[in-house]
Amino acid sequence: MRNLLDFLIKYKHWLLFIFLEVISFVLLFRFNGYQGSVFFTSANVVTGKVYQMTNNLTGYFHLKTINSDLVQHNAELSIQLEHLKEAYKKLTADTTVIEQMKQEALMDCRLIKANVINNSTIHANNFITIDKGEADGVQKEMGVVSGSGIVGIVYQTSAHYAVIIPVLNSKSSISCKIRRSDYFGFLKWEGGSPEFAYIKDMPRHSIFEVGDTIVTSGHSAIFPSGVLVGTVDDVGDSNDGLSYSIRVKLFTDFARLNEVRVIERSNIEEQLELEESVVNKER
Amino acid sequence: MLEFLERIGWFVGLVLVQVLVLSHVHIYGYATPFLYIFFVLSLNSGIDRNILLIWAFAIGLTVDIFCNTPGMHTAAITLVAFLRQPILKGVVIKEVEEEFEPCISTMGFFPYLKYTLLCTLIFCSVVEMIDTFSFFDLKELGLKIITDTLITLVCIFCVEAVFRRDKSEERF
Repeated sequence: MRNLLDFLIKYKHWLLFIFLEVISFVLLFRFNGYQGSVFFTSANVVTGKVYQMTNNLTGYFHLKTINSDLVQHNAELSIQLEHLKEAYKKLTADTTVIEQMKQEALMDCRLIKANVINNSTIHANNFITIDKGEADGVQKEMGVVSGSGIVGIVYQTSAHYAVIIPVLNSKSSISCKIRRSDYFGFLKWEGGSPEFAYIKDMPRHSIFEVGDTIVTSGHSAIFPSGVLVGTVDDVGDSNDGLSYSIRVKLFTDFARLNEVRVIERSNIEEQLELEESVVNKER
Repeated sequence: MLEFLERIGWFVGLVLVQVLVLSHVHIYGYATPFLYIFFVLSLNSGIDRNILLIWAFAIGLTVDIFCNTPGMHTAAITLVAFLRQPILKGVVIKEVEEEFEPCISTMGFFPYLKYTLLCTLIFCSVVEMIDTFSFFDLKELGLKIITDTLITLVCIFCVEAVFRRDKSEERF
C-alpha cells in the first residue's frame, strides 16, 4: 500500500497529464457527436460578446464591397421584377390571383436577420457564429441563407447567439436538385477550396449540363425548395462508379460572409411529425 | 503576486491576439501561426510540472472555446507542456542548476531555437492531425505542419525580440 502511494506521488504529473488529455479527447469527440454543449462553443456569453465587439469594428472594412454587391443585386432584381410583371400581365388580367400567389410563396417562411460574428473556412469542420439566438426566435435545425445563396444549418443556440454548421463542414449534408430537371442528390464538402462542394450520388440517367443551376430540393424540412446553391462546375464518376459526382461552384462566398438570414418555417412541425410517425411504424 | 498578475496579462493578451487575429491568418490556405504556445514555452524552468500542465490546459481550452474546436488545442498544448521539461533538459547541455526563464539571453540562440522548434513541431503536428482527421491526405498534412511550424517560430522570435530585449537590458 505504501509503495503504491509512493508510486502515485512520484508519478503524479503523469496521472495529471493523462487525466487532462482524457478530458480534452472527451470534449473533442463529444462535441463532434452532435450532443455538444453550448458552453464550449463560441455561442457562450463571453466569447459571443468579444466576437461581437470586434465585428462591430471590422464590419466596416467590408462595407464597400458589400454595398457594390447589393447595388448589383438590386439592379438585377428590379430588371427581373419588370420582366415578371409583364409576364404576369400577359398571363392573367385578374389581379386577385397575383396577390394570392405572392402570399402563398411567403406564407410559411419568416426571415430572421443576423450578423456573422465569427467565421472560418480553413478547417475540416468549420463553424459560423451569428448574433441572434433563442430570444430572437432562432432554433436548432433552422436553415440559414445569405443574399447570394445557401449558408448552412443552425447547430447550437444560446439566448443571444447561435452556431451554424455551414456547407463547409464535413458533417454538412443538404438535399439539392438540378433546377432544370429536378434530379436530386446530397451536397457535401470534402475540404480544400471553400468555393466548391460535391454532389456524389447523382443518378446515371439524370439530365444536366455544366453551368446548370443547383437549388435546394425542399425534401428536408429545413430549407424551402428553390434556395440558390451553386452551378455545376465539373462532372466525374463517384467512387463506386454507379453515379455521377458533380463539383458544384457555390454562389455563397464563405470567406466574405457578413449578413445572413435564418429561415423560420411555420408548418415544419407537421411535416416532421408525419415523417417521424412513418419511420416509427417501419420499425 | 506581481508575477502572477503579469502571467494573467500574458494569458489574456496572447489568447486575444490568437483568436481575433492569428487564427484567421491562412497564407494560401496554409501557414497559421499559433503564437499562444509562447505562453507555455516562456514559463520559468523551475515551475512545478503539475502547475505547468494546468496552465497549459487552461489556455488551450480558452482558445478552443473561441475557435469552436473543443479539445483540439487543449490536447496538443497539454502534450507540449508535459514534454517541455525533458526537451529543456536535453537542449541545455551544460548543467544549469538555478532556475531560468527560457529565452535567448539565458539559453543562447541555438539551444533556444532547438527548444522552440521541437515544441512547436510537436504542437502543430498534433493540432493538424486532429483537425484533418476526417479528410486524411498525407501530403497536405505534411505541408500544413511544416508551414504552421515555420510561421509560428517566426512569430515567437518576433515576440522574443520585442518584449524580452527590454528585460535583458534592464538586467545589465
